Amino acid sequence: MNLLAPLAAWFALTIPVIVLFYLLKRRRVVLRVPSTVLWQRYLAETQASAPFQKLRKNWLLLLQILLLIFAVFALMRPYLGSQSAPSSLRVLILDASASMQSTDEEPSRFEAAKHEARRWIDGLRPGQMMVLLQAGPRTDVRQSATSDKPLLREALAGCQVTDGAARMGEALRMAESLIRDVADAEIHLFSDGSVGSLAEFENHNLPLIYHRVGQRRNNVALTSLEVRPNPENPQQRAVFVGVANLSPAAVETTVELEFDRDMVDTRPVTIPPGESASLVFVVSQNRDGIFRARHTAPDDLSADNQATVMSLLPPPVKVLLVTRGNRFLERALRLAGHCEVTVGSDNTQVDGKWDVVVLDDVVPTAWPSANVIAVRVAETNWFERTGTLRAPAIVDWRSTHPLLRFVSLDNVAIAEAVGVKPPPWGNVLIEAPQGPLLVAGEIGRHRVVWIGFDLLGGTWPLRVSFPIFIANAVDWLNPTLVRAERLNIRAGDPLRYELPEAASTVEVKPPGGDWERVTLDAGAREAVYGATDRQGAYELRWGTNQVTFAVRALDLAESDSTPRAEIPVGRFGGTAATSVKQVNLEIWRWLAGAALAILMVEWWYFHRRTA
Amino acid sequence: MNPPLLSARLLRQLEQLELSAQRRSRSAGKGERRSRARGQSVEFADHRNYVAGDDLRYLDWNLYGRLERLFVKLYEEERELPVQIFLDASESMRFGTPTKFELARQVAAAIGYVALCGFDRVSVRVFPDPESPGSPAGPVVGEAAVRGGLRGIRGKRMAPTFLERMTQVSPGGTAVFNEALRRAALQVRQPGLAMVLSDLLDPAGYEDGLEALIGRGFHVHVIQVLAPEELNPATFGDLRLVDSENGAEEDVTFGKFRLKAYRRIVDLYTQKLREYCRGRGIGFYRTTSDASLEGLLLKELRMEGVLG
Repeated sequence: MNLLAPLAAWFALTIPVIVLFYLLKRRRVVLRVPSTVLWQRYLAETQASAPFQKLRKNWLLLLQILLLIFAVFALMRPYLGSQSAPSSLRVLILDASASMQSTDEEPSRFEAAKHEARRWIDGLRPGQMMVLLQAGPRTDVRQSATSDKPLLREALAGCQVTDGAARMGEALRMAESLIRDVADAEIHLFSDGSVGSLAEFENHNLPLIYHRVGQRRNNVALTSLEVRPNPENPQQRAVFVGVANLSPAAVETTVELEFDRDMVDTRPVTIPPGESASLVFVVSQNRDGIFRARHTAPDDLSADNQATVMSLLPPPVKVLLVTRGNRFLERALRLAGHCEVTVGSDNTQVDGKWDVVVLDDVVPTAWPSANVIAVRVAETNWFERTGTLRAPAIVDWRSTHPLLRFVSLDNVAIAEAVGVKPPPWGNVLIEAPQGPLLVAGEIGRHRVVWIGFDLLGGTWPLRVSFPIFIANAVDWLNPTLVRAERLNIRAGDPLRYELPEAASTVEVKPPGGDWERVTLDAGAREAVYGATDRQGAYELRWGTNQVTFAVRALDLAESDSTPRAEIPVGRFGGTAATSVKQVNLEIWRWLAGAALAILMVEWWYFHRRTA
Repeated sequence: MNPPLLSARLLRQLEQLELSAQRRSRSAGKGERRSRARGQSVEFADHRNYVAGDDLRYLDWNLYGRLERLFVKLYEEERELPVQIFLDASESMRFGTPTKFELARQVAAAIGYVALCGFDRVSVRVFPDPESPGSPAGPVVGEAAVRGGLRGIRGKRMAPTFLERMTQVSPGGTAVFNEALRRAALQVRQPGLAMVLSDLLDPAGYEDGLEALIGRGFHVHVIQVLAPEELNPATFGDLRLVDSENGAEEDVTFGKFRLKAYRRIVDLYTQKLREYCRGRGIGFYRTTSDASLEGLLLKELRMEGVLG
């Protein structure tokens, strides 16, 4: 046991004062009685029958001294020693991601983590500092470095769990920067370990202490919800729902699908443990609206039991193909579905109302205002030509990009390509040793796909992957789908919306909440709203206009709520869960309570004597 | 004129009573009590041989006729019963409502009256002695004469005087219980019935005085009079108790929760006193100063055998 304020021992000097008071004569009421004979006998009798005769007279004194000792001891703020080493700065990181909502701890993992963090705050000693970070989709500094316990407690009480995924790398980087100049600093992470991959984090021997919360995994999660045109009937919509069973037993559940609060379909599904099921609902959609899917299996984590997606009814894509003749490309575009293809031979029509303009080996006088697929176009303000690549070999392509989904370039040969520098606005999707062959990116608000080689000068149009790529490209460039993508955001990401005209304020209504007024910068054409911590449908309105956003929590890493015994940090390092629990438990409250009890006993005894 | 000590109605009822003496009187004076002395009465007691000079009227001629020897018939002499009433008039008797002294004086007057009606000689000995040293706040001047006039009274016609004098006695001073009783035991010529009326709260005890009376041959009755507040104290807190007689101080912290312990002490004290008295053939009775006088005299003291 140690003392936080040993100087309070000086208060013990008040004990002699009490004794002094007792040495002074007690004021007695003088009473004349016939005889003291009976009283002498009474005194002799009562004193002889009690142990500690000499002390008996001064029970009150003893009680008061005891009371004072307890009070002084409480003032000295004793605490029970902890296993933790003294540290002058501790950074507490509270994981506020969706998986912390699991109820396997009482009442939830997040509350258990807060409780544990609270104990560390209570154990803060004078001269030590503490920082409180909340790691959700964003990392918030809830309290900067301070020794003030009430401030820290207040900041801790204000922490709220989110529906988003934790970006733990960001939080750890911030914590690392905070402790850079402090030798004995510690970082305490209160988490369940479902923090996604930290392999990219550069671990410079981080003094990380991981306090694990969570006891079991029992979760059935909706892992994906997408709305696409039904490939077999473009008039209908196919809603893909992915359900994963992340609990140790098989689960029978029912997946329900709603469109704008109307029940559309329900489907029972049985999922073995550790596996997932995909369901496709084919529905007809006659207006823009929100699809909401939910499953009914009871589990520990309710945040991922439902998902919403905003679905816009896409009009046919108007495609202008400017080419000197490329039947493969034209055919592929017409096959892409839901396209109205117009073929032109020069670039005079480029300024029309097109959704997508395909420039096949044609250099435009000005870039069109629509989204663009540019084939073998170089030497423009967007590209700097470096030379010509002879028979470039495809060495790598990014199959994770939506453009190259289901696209295999294994047996594609190319005769010649334009050599350009990789532009700063785009990602290189197909690479040859000499330079990029396919670049995709955004310039301003327009998407551009650049293909560096003549399609007819190679084998690609003959492969199956070509029409798939074109279909992907049309989807990726479809402005309606792009807009739909902007209306579907992940929890914690800011909600952005381009306004047709400048507005000073907009109003946002979070799910289950009231309209909130958001003030924009003067002349701003974009509304930004950051508090998207909860999933569901958000509504944005300005003037008489109104848009609905869908915020989703879908994240397989979060839904897999298994408490991890170890968090891998960096490529090689890792931090195991610590067992250091009991921290500097202050016991002055109990001492003060005991002093109060003694005070009451004293009161009772005093009145018992003289009542 | 003080109010009458005893009401006329009570006096009439007292006239029906008499003091019960368990022993034969040894008094020299004539009275109405049986005694061991032989004399003139109607109660035959014994015969003895005639010697010259005996009154021929007491010869038993029937015996002479049978035995041809002269015998004189002896009769019991009826003597008076000397009644000594010891009345404690110390300072401590001033307590209680009415005071302990008031009740003790009434009881003393009533017993005295019963004795006078029974042709017994009554002496009321009031102590402490007004002239005795150690009684700074002594009784009023002239009290000595009054107290002197309470000795050796006999005959019913003296009753008004007796009662009048009793009203003039007032309490005060420090009682020395043992000393008062021992001195009286030495002074009296004939032992008889002794009535002791006191609170018996003398620091020096009561044993020596009572034993002196027993040793002189008295038949002793003790009536202990206590004030109600002595049995149930009503003042609580941190107290400094001052003895009314000797000024001794005692610091006591007293509360309701300790009342029981105090009562037990008082009961124990009385119990000891009662056992002491029983062991020596002393009649003992305890009363409080607020008790009913009629009930005490006509009922309870009769049951105790003091009055018959």
